[in-house]
Amino acid sequence: MLLELDAVSKAFPTRGGPPARVMERVSLEVRAGEFMAVLGPSGCGKSTLLQMAAGLLPPTEGVVRVLGRPITAPPPEAVYVFQQYSRSLLPWRSVRDNVAFALEHRIGRRAARAAAEAPLAQVGLAGFGDHYPWQLSGGMQQRVAIARALAAEPALLLMDEPFSAVDALTRLDLHALVLEICARRKLTVLLVTHDVEEAITLADRIAVLTPRPTTVAQVIEVGIDRPRDPVATRELPRFLELRHALLERLMTRHVG
Amino acid sequence: MWGDRVRAVLPGVAVLALLLAGLEWAVQAGLIRRVLLPPPSVIGATLWDLLASGAFVDPLLATLQLVFAGFAIGSLIGVLLGTAMGWWPAAFRLFEPLVELVRPVPKSALVPPLMLFLGIGFTMKVTSVALVVIFPVLLNTLQGVRGVDRVMLDAARTHGWGSAHTLRHLVLPAALPFVLAGMRISLGLALVLAVLAEMLAGEGGLGFLILDMQRSFLIRQMYAWLVILAVLGLVLNGIVAALERRALHWQNRNP
Ligand SMILES: Nc1ncnc2c1ncn2[C@@H]1O[C@H](COP(=O)(O)OP(=O)(O)OP(=O)(O)O)[C@@H](O)[C@H]1O
Ligand SMILES: [Mg+2]
Repeated sequence: MLLELDAVSKAFPTRGGPPARVMERVSLEVRAGEFMAVLGPSGCGKSTLLQMAAGLLPPTEGVVRVLGRPITAPPPEAVYVFQQYSRSLLPWRSVRDNVAFALEHRIGRRAARAAAEAPLAQVGLAGFGDHYPWQLSGGMQQRVAIARALAAEPALLLMDEPFSAVDALTRLDLHALVLEICARRKLTVLLVTHDVEEAITLADRIAVLTPRPTTVAQVIEVGIDRPRDPVATRELPRFLELRHALLERLMTRHVG
Repeated sequence: MWGDRVRAVLPGVAVLALLLAGLEWAVQAGLIRRVLLPPPSVIGATLWDLLASGAFVDPLLATLQLVFAGFAIGSLIGVLLGTAMGWWPAAFRLFEPLVELVRPVPKSALVPPLMLFLGIGFTMKVTSVALVVIFPVLLNTLQGVRGVDRVMLDAARTHGWGSAHTLRHLVLPAALPFVLAGMRISLGLALVLAVLAEMLAGEGGLGFLILDMQRSFLIRQMYAWLVILAVLGLVLNGIVAALERRALHWQNRNP
């Protein structure tokens, strides 16, 4: 098992009142090489869950293990791609230097710059190395953030709603990009999203969360063959069936 | 491009010219006593003599050296202390009471006691200037270091950046706009303290000369030196503003 969340709970202190329990004994296992999506309504604690998995946020109770080893700090195997991608890039650095960010502390700035070219090309940003983040569109900035994560060559990629802030067409583009990258390298991905179609398009398994205090309601096998095409996949009967079931589940939870 | 620039500054220059012309007229017409304010044309001629004879060089260099040394020392201390206090809570607890105690004291009032300890030489003057420079730089640096985006810091952590690398390559560049803003504020104060220290020490420099000329009733010369001091302030400010623009080119993003 590459990543395990073992009965993880999280409570945030509140002013005066009792601590706000956001997460209640969440257990989740991510196998090496699989793509797992975590699906939940807005504000249910998806970012909190992923940050605990990344070692960026300590759980109140429970243990997070990477390759069987309990973690208390960000493990070298995992890299986090932030929901607020524009805030995670360094505005004073060129695109190339932002990607070199992933390696410079290990191999030095010069070598890291050279190593940045391949991941940039992989996300379709060859030739944009000298641009600054603010000169790029939101979708391109998110590509830079993905290129930076890829440059680190992590075993585990943790993605926090990486496509929620871009328009629908750009999102499809980025889905195609992620599918292609996952097909090419043996990556394990844990993706957090509130977009049902995104989860089905990309994932092997989907963990569905309840509203707060959040637990895992169910883990679903997607069962759609790879390689997948982000457009054609949407017309498969299995896609429609899953979409129907998941939307209904999330919506009734929301109303009830 | 150039035409636009000229057109932008033209109204301001016109107001200045009008004011000078008005002064000239007022003095010539006897509305202002000549002993208090000679006509601008006379001051201009005196200034020209000063510049042509090269007599301005030594006092100007003395003041420039003082401002530069005091500014450099004060900025360095301000940045180091501000960074330490912003990054390590222990350093903040250690130095915060001291900073809060010294900060509100007008630094000009510290020149007389400094003279007791350090005499009236360069050391005393540099110390006075450095003291006034430290605080705006320190407080701005502190604010900048503390204000670094948490998402950015988490990005460094998830990529395995160590504390030293994060401080040098993330926190300091992120705080740079604040640091430079603090330095711009400090520069004006540095000039004030330099002039004051020179006046009190009575040992040369532009500040000393302005006071000395006034006491010797060399009123034209006093105003001429004043103009030189004003130009020095203008030039120093321009240099810092240009450095700021260069260092922060990435902030000039279009909306
Ligand atoms: N540091 C914190 N202190 C207190 N409460 C917090 C903190 N971080 C998150 N929360 C609360 O925990 C809950 C879950 O937040 P989180 O950001 O994990 O949700 P999310 O599912 O990622 O939301 P979104 O879909 O909007 O990204 C929210 O109600 C939030 O108010
Ligand atoms: Mg979130």
